[in-house]
Amino acid sequence: MKEILTIDLELCTGCRNCELACSVAHTQSFNPKRSRIQILKDEVRNLVVPMVCLQCEKPLCQEACPNGAIVENEHGILFVKEEICIGCMNCVTACIYGGIAIDPQTKKAVKCDLCNGDPACVKACDYGAISVASTKPEGLHQRRKAVSPAFQTLGLQIEEVQE
Amino acid sequence: MTFPYKGYAGYYLEVDLTKGEVHKKEMEKEWARLYLGGSGVSSKILWERTTVETDPLSPDNVVVVGTGPITGAMFSPSGRMMFAARGPLTGVWAESHVGGFMGPEIKYAGFDFVIITGRSKKPVYLFLRDGKAELLDASHLWGQETDTTTKMIREDHKDPSIETAVIGPAGENQVLYSGIIVDFYRAAGRAGLGAVLGSKNMKGIAASGSLGLEAYDMEKYLEANAQEMEKLKDPLWKDSLASLRKYGTTDLVAIINEIGRLPTKNHWTGFYEDADDIGPEIIAEKYRIAQEACHGCAVGCKYVIRVKGGKYPTEPIGGPEYETLMAFGSNCMNNDIESIFHMGKRCDLLGLDTISCGKTISFAMELYEKGIWTKEDTDGLDLTWGNAEAQVELVEKIAKREGVGKILSNGVRKAAEQIGGDAWKYAIHVKGLEASGQDPRAHQSIGLTYATNVRGADHLRSISCIEELGYPKIAGDRFGPEKAEAILEIMSPKHKGEVIWDMEDLYALVDSAVICKYTTMWPPVFYYDTFVNVIPALTGMEEWGNPKYVRLAGQRISHLRRAFNHRLGITRKDENLPPRLLSEPMPTGPAKGGLPDLSEMLDEYYEFRGCDRETGYPKETKLKELQLDFVVDELKPKGMTR
Ligand code: SF4
Ligand code: SF4
Ligand code: SF4
Repeated sequence: MKEILTIDLELCTGCRNCELACSVAHTQSFNPKRSRIQILKDEVRNLVVPMVCLQCEKPLCQEACPNGAIVENEHGILFVKEEICIGCMNCVTACIYGGIAIDPQTKKAVKCDLCNGDPACVKACDYGAISVASTKPEGLHQRRKAVSPAFQTLGLQIEEVQE
Repeated sequence: MTFPYKGYAGYYLEVDLTKGEVHKKEMEKEWARLYLGGSGVSSKILWERTTVETDPLSPDNVVVVGTGPITGAMFSPSGRMMFAARGPLTGVWAESHVGGFMGPEIKYAGFDFVIITGRSKKPVYLFLRDGKAELLDASHLWGQETDTTTKMIREDHKDPSIETAVIGPAGENQVLYSGIIVDFYRAAGRAGLGAVLGSKNMKGIAASGSLGLEAYDMEKYLEANAQEMEKLKDPLWKDSLASLRKYGTTDLVAIINEIGRLPTKNHWTGFYEDADDIGPEIIAEKYRIAQEACHGCAVGCKYVIRVKGGKYPTEPIGGPEYETLMAFGSNCMNNDIESIFHMGKRCDLLGLDTISCGKTISFAMELYEKGIWTKEDTDGLDLTWGNAEAQVELVEKIAKREGVGKILSNGVRKAAEQIGGDAWKYAIHVKGLEASGQDPRAHQSIGLTYATNVRGADHLRSISCIEELGYPKIAGDRFGPEKAEAILEIMSPKHKGEVIWDMEDLYALVDSAVICKYTTMWPPVFYYDTFVNVIPALTGMEEWGNPKYVRLAGQRISHLRRAFNHRLGITRKDENLPPRLLSEPMPTGPAKGGLPDLSEMLDEYYEFRGCDRETGYPKETKLKELQLDFVVDELKPKGMTR
């Protein structure tokens, strides 16, 4: 069964510990800018918007990649094959959820790979804001509930097809 | 790069504003080994680069912007940074710490320290990004409030992830207690460091970085980290941590009023009858809309409020801390919470320290009550206790140095000198720094903390909450079971010299690491062993795995900061308390009748610190034990060692 991350905006404090944990898990360094989960903030509007890959059923990123660098791992999760990625940013433009980004150091695309089933960010969140849900209908509903208020404020639309 | 230690960014930056130059330099090994970072390293830099002649508001003064090895390295709570200089308000050692996200960002941008000297011809700000630094024109930012300044900088660079540390109009106008505001609503408020930047024509610093930090032994560090977090999860601390998450520091209004230590009516007493009106429940129920936390922090004491309607409506802003509620509230006999929110917000936007600002206003209110000041002196303002509207006007006048604000912008000590007569009796300060929200007549050891704090009357260099909140196990573990009972006695001076000496060294490390006081001060979970556990794995500095070495490092930092002040003329006679807190018995409330036994505590403190009782000067042997021979070389010929 595929899994996804859902984030409860009510609980998120914007502390960025998830970013730290993700950067440690994937880069062995403390570097929030290289994290696969990104906490966007707008202090003036009191907005904290966690952005992470939604593990879409119809992945726009994969579709957009001219080189076929975005492939499934053994857990059925899409990840970016660094050696194949050419850093063209097509996937970044294609993903309307901000789920994939260019690593500032490698200049290659990176996205959440769910840490091979043991998500570091979930453990690192002391406020219990991140959880793992299944891609069964309840889980998808939870995902939608989690992201929609923030996405609406940011002017993003969640495609019905995703649900 | 030859700087061998991890956790650090590995570089520092020299900024000469007069020449308009920046120079990137490799970090000094000795700084890390002997002083760790933050306060410790700043004390070394300021010792070397300032003298008795350095006028705090001249180009000669040096501002150190500091982080520590733990800053940004995923340790809760590690989002902190600090500033230090010779202080314009006190004339002595000044340092101020702040949370938020700027400290880590400076390191991710590639720097551990920034050392600022000189004076720029036109307004500038420093921009740090990925190992590069440049001074940029700030003419368009000059005069702007702190939130607008940050928004404009982000727009200039088209980068919303930029974090900032900036001054507001108060700092530009060199109000002697203007602060530096970080990430919108967090303040390195105390001791006037904003004025020092203002005097240099420097609006602030902006940073954005993606360089990342390494650990010497990541696996071991994460393990050490997890062990420390485990301590925090002990059921003993559950209530304290739950309270910090629900109320932030505002819960202290109730806790402290209950023991009769809540400064009220310009420190006349320690009990405020209307305390319920200024927190914590009313804030949590009526105004709080969200919780926040600093970078990587599991405590999460920050919160956001919004006020709809009324005289002082506001869009979401960072909620006030205990100290702000006390300074503009109980201490001015003002129970209008919305006016307090408003003044807290204005201080953040203008770049003022809420404590000194509120305390200066309460001082003015007492002058007015005593008839020393009349409406002629106050630009016609009616400074009757609790007149919130007049307080609000004073905040604006102070930031502009306008009318009566001109004299009040100098802080209570200088204002009292200028006013003359009996005014000094109502100036509640030590070394020129307005007292924070405690009272030694209800908590003996805070008297010693105020007196010995290198930056003046403030709790943050050594407050002990062991007796305040009653932690018998901690008292026994740290000082021996035989002493625990006397230590827990809040109005007994017994062993308090030892306790405060111990806390001061512990906080010296906290302030050098740089981490937040929450988890060390309250709840008192982290102790010297935390550093022993964490620092070697993070940095690779093996000697920090030796408990004795770590203790000595704490002492070294404490002594060097003290020596900085001795060189400027500070002795035991300055390590004192204002007359009201020393000899007017607490008039009302649960602590009624209370007075501190300062001299008994001081004697014991000097004994533990390795100082002479008569003068407070350090013993030569102690300084040498701490590898502070260069201090001996300078102080001994002046007769300032024993
Ligand atoms: S760790 Fe949790 S609370 Fe902190 S920013 Fe991430 S999701 Fe939000
Ligand atoms: S699950 Fe792993 S890869 Fe995905 S955001 Fe969390 S830490 Fe990063
Ligand atoms: S305890 Fe509060 S002030 Fe300290 S780092 Fe955490 S959120 Fe910031």
